[in-house]
Amino acid sequence: MPMMKSLSDDHAELFMVIAQTVTPEVASLDADGRARMTAIVDGALMERDLATRKQLGTFLGVIRIAPILRYGRPFPALDPGRRTAVLRWFENCPVSLIRTGFWGLKALVFMGYYGQPELWPELGYEPGFDGREGVRHA
Amino acid sequence: MPEREFDIVIIGSGAGGGTVAKELAPLAADGRRIAVLEWGPKLADDAYSGREVEMARQLYFSSGGVLTRDKTVTMAYGRAYGGSTVVYTGTSLTMPQSVMDRWNTPGVDFDDLQRRSAKYLEENNVHLLDETELNDNNRLFRDGCRELGFRVRQFPINVKGCRSSSLCNLGCPNGAKQGTDRVQLPAAEAAGVEVITNCRVTRISDGQCEAVVADPGFGLPSAWEEGSYRITAKVIVVCGGAVNSTALLLRSGFAATLPTLGRYLTLHPALILVGEHPSPISNFHGHPKSFYCDEFAESEKFLLETCMYFPFVTSKNLIGFGAEHSELMRAFPRLQMILVLAIDPALESNRVKVDSNGEPVVDYTLAPSVLDSLHRSMVASAKIFFAAGAKRVHAPAGVSFFIDRDDAHRVEEMIPRDNVIPGKISVATAHPMGGCRMGRDASDSVTDSWGRVHGSRGIFVADSALFPQSSEVNPYLTVMALADRVAEGVRSNAGELLSS
Repeated sequence: MPMMKSLSDDHAELFMVIAQTVTPEVASLDADGRARMTAIVDGALMERDLATRKQLGTFLGVIRIAPILRYGRPFPALDPGRRTAVLRWFENCPVSLIRTGFWGLKALVFMGYYGQPELWPELGYEPGFDGREGVRHA
Repeated sequence: MPEREFDIVIIGSGAGGGTVAKELAPLAADGRRIAVLEWGPKLADDAYSGREVEMARQLYFSSGGVLTRDKTVTMAYGRAYGGSTVVYTGTSLTMPQSVMDRWNTPGVDFDDLQRRSAKYLEENNVHLLDETELNDNNRLFRDGCRELGFRVRQFPINVKGCRSSSLCNLGCPNGAKQGTDRVQLPAAEAAGVEVITNCRVTRISDGQCEAVVADPGFGLPSAWEEGSYRITAKVIVVCGGAVNSTALLLRSGFAATLPTLGRYLTLHPALILVGEHPSPISNFHGHPKSFYCDEFAESEKFLLETCMYFPFVTSKNLIGFGAEHSELMRAFPRLQMILVLAIDPALESNRVKVDSNGEPVVDYTLAPSVLDSLHRSMVASAKIFFAAGAKRVHAPAGVSFFIDRDDAHRVEEMIPRDNVIPGKISVATAHPMGGCRMGRDASDSVTDSWGRVHGSRGIFVADSALFPQSSEVNPYLTVMALADRVAEGVRSNAGELLSS
């Protein structure tokens, strides 16, 4: 069974590798947390048109192979420090299209992780429908 | 294709459509058939869960993540029974006279706007929250501004029975916010106006529109079966919001005679800024938006407002990633947040277009003057955070992820203008305005000052698309005031407009 409907398994696996660099806590998610994350990301991508999903697939492919030029290895084979360096280059790239592409990818990772209400207590974020007591007592 | 016949069709049910529906409802009581066609769903009261991704998917277009063509700005606008009034914070400001003077729209004057705004201030139970209802996130902003001598004001808010959930932007789970879903639409329906949800209007012409009803998979069922409809109506009032109202007119061929259609779009480009305090503050309980600072509105073209967002929205508005980003997110109970609204100029080149499928495309470029405003706003916000006691500040254009308190005196150099890079920093908007601007005639505008589309018999616009320039303050009350005016125009001319 594929990990996501919106991305090939190769791309979905690469997405999760990148996600661990963007948000290190992704690496320690249990199976349920990973399943929730892929479901959220997949749901968001399925809302988008096919062209957008294809663009993301292409962008993931670029991230996979771009490090070969600099480090002689694809992204998943890099150590954590080099992965971070590669993603920093994408984030600061002078080419707007690449910058915005990385911003979108990063936003997807954040949605998949921070969009899980089950993880909110770890952040200390615990909203309620009646917050009147909370206003008075920080 | 099934056909339906009405005297008046209102497209959209937000601040514009809800107001028009209520104001025209007396005609329904006189036997006229009026329908509101709303693209979004109506949710049951117990469906408001406060879960961020789930509610965003149900209440916003593209989960609140519509992108401009160059992908540098994210747009969030609502799609629901009540439109964006379901997901705003209820901040209710009358547009200042200075802005109305800049609009310089023949036939619209400040006294008229003020009188109509006052009507909705009362109708929506707008008032100032009591000091005991204000959380630390808001009080710290106020105190920081005062410490620095910045002018700061309290937002009037339209709530009734607020229980301080702070979930306004995900739809109030307590039904406290007095949006059109709570006030104007129920009143209209009680008077005989029909509201059809899950109904997307695809094309209009004088006297007719085409629509599709489709079940989104959540919310209450629509009053109509799924399928395509042809609807005749003597009057059509378009209130789908700046992007979708404009796209509907473009898709329907109006650009051929209206050269300004789609142009002069403004967005109030926004940033979310974060300061971290040494110990927990009350932030995610309490109304999220109680104060604003307009000290720099005239001089530097930005407003600062209090805000409090949810984990995902907060995370994507921080620059960077990795360990530092995670560290800041894990400080959530210690975070103070400020929302920046840049007051952007109405440029002919910033516009709504439609693609080959008729879908809206927002072609908007962040002007250098707007990037200047965003830069200055970060500097001002950093000063406010430190004045309020923050131990460190995260500014998207900062030279480092955190600016520590020890460097508070150096914020000007720690936040260089060159670091304000579109596509790297997160810029968002919830206030699209313009595209069907009011004016004199078809050479300079899309509608007259009563919202009637130039050259049409009975097609009107009644939402923020009418704005000829930015409102320079949170726009919903101005939308209601203008929609009230459009409705009055329709009512006054009902004999002519509704004759066979």
